[in-house]
Amino acid sequence: MQLFLEQTINGVALGSLYALFGVGFGLVFATLGILNAAHGCYASWAAIVGYYAVESVGLPFPVAILAGVIAGGAIAIIVDQIAFQPLRDRGTGLLGALITSIGFWIILDSLAGFATGQQSLAFPAASYPSGMTSIAGLRVPTMQIVVIVALAVCTVGIYLLIQKTRVGAAMRAVGWNPVSASLGGVNSRMVILLTAFLAGATSGLAGVLGGIATSNVSFTLGEGLMLKGFAAVVVGGFDDVRGTAIAGICLGVIEVFVAQYLSTSLRDGITYSLLLIFLVVRPRGLFGSASFQRA
Amino acid sequence: MQTLLDFWAGYGSTVVFAMVNSFFALSAYAVLSTGVLSFATVAFAAVGGFLAAQMVGKFGMPLPAAVALAGLGGGLASALVAAAFLKLESHWMALASLALVLITRVVALNAPALTGGVNGLVVPQRISFLQLLVLLAVVALVFHRLSRSWYGLAARAVREDPAVASTMGVSPYRIQFTAFLISGVVGGIGGAALAFTLQFISPETYFIGLAFTMIASTVLGGSFHWVGSLIGAAVFTALPVTMQAIVPQIEDVAKGVALLLIMIFLPRGLIDPRAWGLRRAARARQVAGGATQAEPHG
Repeated sequence: MQLFLEQTINGVALGSLYALFGVGFGLVFATLGILNAAHGCYASWAAIVGYYAVESVGLPFPVAILAGVIAGGAIAIIVDQIAFQPLRDRGTGLLGALITSIGFWIILDSLAGFATGQQSLAFPAASYPSGMTSIAGLRVPTMQIVVIVALAVCTVGIYLLIQKTRVGAAMRAVGWNPVSASLGGVNSRMVILLTAFLAGATSGLAGVLGGIATSNVSFTLGEGLMLKGFAAVVVGGFDDVRGTAIAGICLGVIEVFVAQYLSTSLRDGITYSLLLIFLVVRPRGLFGSASFQRA
Repeated sequence: MQTLLDFWAGYGSTVVFAMVNSFFALSAYAVLSTGVLSFATVAFAAVGGFLAAQMVGKFGMPLPAAVALAGLGGGLASALVAAAFLKLESHWMALASLALVLITRVVALNAPALTGGVNGLVVPQRISFLQLLVLLAVVALVFHRLSRSWYGLAARAVREDPAVASTMGVSPYRIQFTAFLISGVVGGIGGAALAFTLQFISPETYFIGLAFTMIASTVLGGSFHWVGSLIGAAVFTALPVTMQAIVPQIEDVAKGVALLLIMIFLPRGLIDPRAWGLRRAARARQVAGGATQAEPHG
């Protein structure tokens, strides 16, 4: 029972990372209609900036996280303005942006390799809450609690922003149809920049926290998050952050349990099979709206 | 003659890999030319590659027969994929095929009897340059004939507007299904060609890297004409080699920048039939305009 509960919390914490990354990835896909291959790099770079903020500048833990998050958002804006903005008026659709994002993926990955000296770095243990917290007799790593809380705050925050505020309404309008949104008085350029920043920042947060929790700060960090975050987005239904959050947590729990009780080699297989089944049987995901069409 | 030999010694392997990549780019083009973005080629290539490698390694099948069988295997796999995926909308289709690529690697890792698992598979035979050239020429000829056929015309119609195509009596489902079959056969052959070129394959051979190389080649070269895939594969394969010669420190960065620049300034790719048409029309207008201007004076 003890093991079961501990593994459940491990799974939820792991899934929270996937979900946090997925929220950002899904935001770009739903609002801007871009399948962004470079998204994983935002997480890697946020983690790298966070690492150097602690290691070289000596900033305290919360400020370092903030630095990483802002870096993630800033890179997202740079990528959007250089790689996606020139293609927006030309009607190249999903394909053109996919290719330019692959270009940026190659660039950012290779630069991340230089930044970390082609190796995997780890945050010094003294720089973050590395101890255990006991909750009702269970000893849980404090970092896992931080990750779970971060996901909860981000999901609720972004959900409220998108569903209840004027800015959110503008984002949904641009996601539905940028031209008619502009006719309705929405400054779509600002909305695009805001969405890109928000998506980069959320995924950047996942990157920094993931880099700390897994003691792996390198370009491989983003790649791992990207594949699982992508699965979370599809299973959850990408136009609803609640779906992404729940699906991400479920994927994390399933992964940990499969590894614990069945076999480690089946771990990824089950995640991706679930992904494929959802795509074929229920493409709109757990919470997706009934129809999705982009002219 | 000497310079030619020197070139071959230095860049022979680049030429061979460009030819192998051409198969993947053509496979991606086959579906893209009917308006479907699919990464499933990687799965077809894995089927073809492992099938051909096992046939040659375990049963001593001659190489051409193994390549043909790989094409058949890829075609069968593509029929299954098309039946499952074609009802999806375009965005979902792309995502589903990406998921298929992820699953392909997991399956390959967990079926060591068929694929050698983590350790990979040594392929005892090597495809000669001439064999590869003939194979590519045959495939290219098929694409050339197809583009001039009823199917080619129907494919363009489906790509431009499926609704209009179906009112004209062209079934988008059937055209896209056919496109998938072509993509599967070519992808399977490409997978076998890659196996017989590398002489060592593992689950990592057929993964995301190949998917992105392939789609970048197709779009870079121009996804509106099959020649674009050949040009794109050549450019995309030669790019890292060239960049290594010019800026060895940051070759990957330079490769990414080159990809970005080409896509931003030539979003329809290097080979663009529409641009030729526009240029020809502009020239015709100029000649006609020159004639009318000349008349009052004459």
